[in-house]
Amino acid sequence: MTRVAAVGDIHLGPDSRGTLRPAFDTLPDCADVLLLAGDLTRHGTPEEARVVAGEIADLGVPVVAVLGNHDHHDDHPDEITAILRDAGAHVLEGEATVVTHGGLRIGVAGTKGFGGGFVGRCAGEFGEPVMREFVRYSRHRADGLRTALEELRGRECDVRIALTHFAPVPDTLAGEPLEIYPFLGSYLLAEAIDTAGADLAVHGHAHAGTEHGMTGGGVRVRNVAQPVIERAFHVYSLNPRDPGEGSGATGTRSPEDTVRQ
Amino acid sequence: MNLEYRVAHVAERLAAGQCGELGVRAEIRGGAVLLTGTVPSAGCRDDILRVAHDELPDVPVHCDLVVAENAPPDHPEELP
Repeated sequence: MTRVAAVGDIHLGPDSRGTLRPAFDTLPDCADVLLLAGDLTRHGTPEEARVVAGEIADLGVPVVAVLGNHDHHDDHPDEITAILRDAGAHVLEGEATVVTHGGLRIGVAGTKGFGGGFVGRCAGEFGEPVMREFVRYSRHRADGLRTALEELRGRECDVRIALTHFAPVPDTLAGEPLEIYPFLGSYLLAEAIDTAGADLAVHGHAHAGTEHGMTGGGVRVRNVAQPVIERAFHVYSLNPRDPGEGSGATGTRSPEDTVRQ
Repeated sequence: MNLEYRVAHVAERLAAGQCGELGVRAEIRGGAVLLTGTVPSAGCRDDILRVAHDELPDVPVHCDLVVAENAPPDHPEELP
């Protein structure tokens, strides 16, 4: 079994130092990887990112993260990314990584994603420049996710996971006001996941949403926003991929323990 | 000013404030305003309440904000 721990929307600030560390220190006993689904900070300041870094450094399991909209608010996403990478995290945006733990190869493709809405109730790439840019930005994030998942196909992963901040499906938004769904996720992410294939999709962002959902193609989706799971993290135990399945077990095993694209 | 607009201004101030809070819902219930949601710390909850009272000094504010739970899970979810 591959044990995937995940949480998003931890929104750490200067008063949060040490609050999650005791729970994270239990990870080597219960998980093979920790996924962080964005909104790790409140305003995206380097000071807040250093608090996050202190919570996740040297945990004894690999840490893979995407940023969220809060992590962009201070306009320093590259600095936030660098601080988290210095703490040992793999921070993904349209990228894939394969981390190993206990002989398992865990492939993660990640993007922040963006909004736009869901089929039949979504924004279109039409009209004013800012509206076209909004949809184009969301499409580029989804394209990056699809490409990253496709790259994982050839890297003999035991499991492949799509990690986003915004939601790929409306299922996991249940509890949020319907009127704000287009700001919470995009069907383009689910389309990318179903096109490229994945064993699990993990996201955050929707604090009042629901944990469980599924894409139209049958990929399980979990909203791990901390207010939703009501824990420091949740753990999902997945069966290793059948070597006969076409969407991840073929290809050449890389000699590196951890490879970032 | 109409209470609806004043509540909207509370939400704007919460987003711009110390906690950068977008996840708190402020709703008019009768003549009062109800705050619900989960916040990262007790300090954030105090800050949010302070902003609400500051913007709505003449309106009763009911607070049902929850501080995030930081305990580890006691079991995994099995995904066969």
